[in-house]
Amino acid sequence: MSMIEVTGLEKIYSLGNVTVEALKGVSFTIRKGEFVGIMGPSGSGKSTLLHQLGLLDTPSAGTILIDGADVSHLNDKERTHFRLMNLGYVFQDYALVPELTVKENVALPAIMQGKSFYEGYAMAISILEKMGLAHRLDHLGCDLSGGEQQRVSIARALVNQPSIIFADEPCANLDTKNSRVVLELFRSVNRDLGKTIVMVSHESWHWEYFDRILLLRDGLLDSQWTDMETWKEEPDPESI
Amino acid sequence: MPSPLRVSMLLALRGLERGNKFTLCLTVLIMGLVLVMLLFQPSLMTGFIKVEHDQITNLMYGNLVLEPKEHQLYIKNVSILTEKINRIPGVIASSPRYVTAVTITYQNTSVAETLTSVTPSTENQVLTLSSQIISGNYLTDGDNDQIVIGTLLAGHKDTTLDLVKSLGGVEVGDSVEVTFSNGVVRTYHVKGIFETHSMMLDQTAYITNSEMEAVTGLSDEASLVLVKTSSTGNEDAFRTTMMQYGIQEPIKTWVQEGEGFVWEVIASFEQINSIMIVFSLIIGAIVVFIVTFINTINKRKQIAILKAIGITKEVIITSFLIQVICICLAGILIGLVLFEIIIYYLTINPIQFPIGAVPPVVDLEWTVKNIIALILVSLVGGFIPAWKIANEEITDAMRG
Repeated sequence: MSMIEVTGLEKIYSLGNVTVEALKGVSFTIRKGEFVGIMGPSGSGKSTLLHQLGLLDTPSAGTILIDGADVSHLNDKERTHFRLMNLGYVFQDYALVPELTVKENVALPAIMQGKSFYEGYAMAISILEKMGLAHRLDHLGCDLSGGEQQRVSIARALVNQPSIIFADEPCANLDTKNSRVVLELFRSVNRDLGKTIVMVSHESWHWEYFDRILLLRDGLLDSQWTDMETWKEEPDPESI
Repeated sequence: MPSPLRVSMLLALRGLERGNKFTLCLTVLIMGLVLVMLLFQPSLMTGFIKVEHDQITNLMYGNLVLEPKEHQLYIKNVSILTEKINRIPGVIASSPRYVTAVTITYQNTSVAETLTSVTPSTENQVLTLSSQIISGNYLTDGDNDQIVIGTLLAGHKDTTLDLVKSLGGVEVGDSVEVTFSNGVVRTYHVKGIFETHSMMLDQTAYITNSEMEAVTGLSDEASLVLVKTSSTGNEDAFRTTMMQYGIQEPIKTWVQEGEGFVWEVIASFEQINSIMIVFSLIIGAIVVFIVTFINTINKRKQIAILKAIGITKEVIITSFLIQVICICLAGILIGLVLFEIIIYYLTINPIQFPIGAVPPVVDLEWTVKNIIALILVSLVGGFIPAWKIANEEITDAMRG
């Protein structure tokens, strides 16, 4: 059963008289509960594709179906509501609100969804405890290590129980040890909670966590890899 | 509380609590000073108006003034008229007076001035001039060769100290010569010197009505009849009542009678006041705009992230506006405290104007209006940058 269906997706940026075709007609499908990695060299359109899928930007052409609903033509308000109710995000630089505590950061989307402060905090505490961050509830983001901040960011993405989680190079600022902790967490969320995860990555070794890899090059879907034994033989995607 | 407002409150209050304290305190202080600017000028104007009103009603005209009918120099049958007036409910007293131009000479100095004659016993029930005597005594009904003069008219021995042309240092007990318009010249002993702080009054002199009638040959007439009523503010109603009682002389209220340079001064004050208010409000709006603008620029990426996780732009804008309201309210509190301190100081040490010492008077209506205006312009000042940043594309803002 497909969770995301992308057909002929294009994104053209206009910078004065110059136009840049970031995506040139990308089509693919992601199944429900799949953990997909989007890889490719710099400038291949990985983040642009993630932004279109995550409704952070509007495509120039093409359609995106999420769980059967066409979301490519939603207006700003509808997209915001859709993101709140259905999608979770994890960003490269954790993107925690600096003035809020760990607990408040995680509870924020839940409160926005309509939960009371009490309910929101209870949900946040429950998730943070599972992530081994119970001792950090009332700390500010700046008091935490990079790995801890990213785990808080994942907790925030999960609090609204979204069907899909988008992660934009979540391990880019982490060392290998912390990257593995974060990736294990994502795999656990994927396998134990059945969440569909779409992650942009530029690290070749992340393949071992993915069910499938979408390899982008020059704004086009170059290839898809499901046989990870074969992918292992490929060079670093950055050098493709 | 609706959930978007809960989120706005959380973001706003935590932003204030954990944001830059120095910037916050400075902004609050500036808003406080803006409020002081907004309130001080009107309070001074209110004080000025109050002093002027008090002078007009207590020292110059009472509440109502009866004038001679058209084409007549004097009001006739004044004793009957005043009896009739005094019977009207709410009228405390009425007092007739003659007003004439004279030349007053002391030693070799002559000054052309207005001489007013009164019946002291009734005048004292209408006005309080007798309480303004700073040297000697006020007139009594039987005084025929006595005069009381204003301090500015009396002047100083050293005339360089005088604000206006004076008699050069007349003191109680001195004799002055008064030349009336009919050519009669009389010598009067200075019985008292008064000081009202009104430049107009302090240049005048007073004798008794009986003396004036002896000089002019008039009898039972008056240039004006002043009326004191039980309350101030409903003179128009009293005037109507007096007309219903059959009084045919033109009746003016103290407001109409006081029209002149004082009202021009007040009008000028109001003009300056309006300009000051507009400028103060603009300053307030700009301060809030700049603070919010810098805040939004610093939080550009954070705002994009908030939008990405499903926080609506309305919530983001509201969070900034809540911060503006909090800053504004704290500023208003500080401003009111500062303003009270200034009021307290200036009440003890009032500013000296030509009309006298003017302590500032707090006008509650003005205060409330200015506070509301400050909050509104601050909200506008905060809304513009918040709206601008909240409407930015997420991906543009995330790129920085």
